[in-house]
Amino acid sequence: MEFDVRVKLTIYGTIADTGRAPTAADVAATLESSLGAVREAFQRLARKRLLVLEPDTFEIRMAPPFSAVPTPFAVEAGGKSYFANCVWDSLGVAAALHRDIDVSTRCGCCGEAMALAVRHGAPVPTYGIAHFAVPAAHWWDDIVYT
Amino acid sequence: MLLFRSEDHVHRWCLANDVPRRPLVSLEQLWGLALAWYENRLTEESRRPGPDEMGEIFGRLGLEDPFWQVRE
Repeated sequence: MEFDVRVKLTIYGTIADTGRAPTAADVAATLESSLGAVREAFQRLARKRLLVLEPDTFEIRMAPPFSAVPTPFAVEAGGKSYFANCVWDSLGVAAALHRDIDVSTRCGCCGEAMALAVRHGAPVPTYGIAHFAVPAAHWWDDIVYT
Repeated sequence: MLLFRSEDHVHRWCLANDVPRRPLVSLEQLWGLALAWYENRLTEESRRPGPDEMGEIFGRLGLEDPFWQVRE
């Protein structure tokens, strides 16, 4: 299997199992590889927009739909806790894990607590509507803001 | 990409943040996007959809405003 694919599967497998993103050193240890080779793979995966790296440490900030840092989109699935990058990605956690989920978030305007859920492969009907402030062609100009 | 209680709350947020009001996305459409982007994300062959695929996905979900046009 191609090295970058092994790195990608290690990253996503670790997050799915633990709710936490691995460091480059963690991935290197798992794959019995060098830290430099893993860092280079992180960069290639970021160019494919499968990862977003921290600008200073080059560690994982996002492995969409998962966030490596706390966000207003907390997701519970199978007794494990995750953070998603946005409301789209919060449902994306259910799609990626193929599991029921519960999302705790807040109205972007007033801050009132809101809940979303996916059960048996479909979102549970509820109130709420999503708003994308940034047009699709510019999502990756500043993906953290998007 | 934020979730709001209602269209009125989207409107208020846009005014408060000086952001143009954009097309709204229902939870059903959002679920369609989530599946299209992430259903295979934990698999060996997973990848992000390319621009043409994104256009097809948006169209299938009824997201046809110029807002959704991709130029990557």
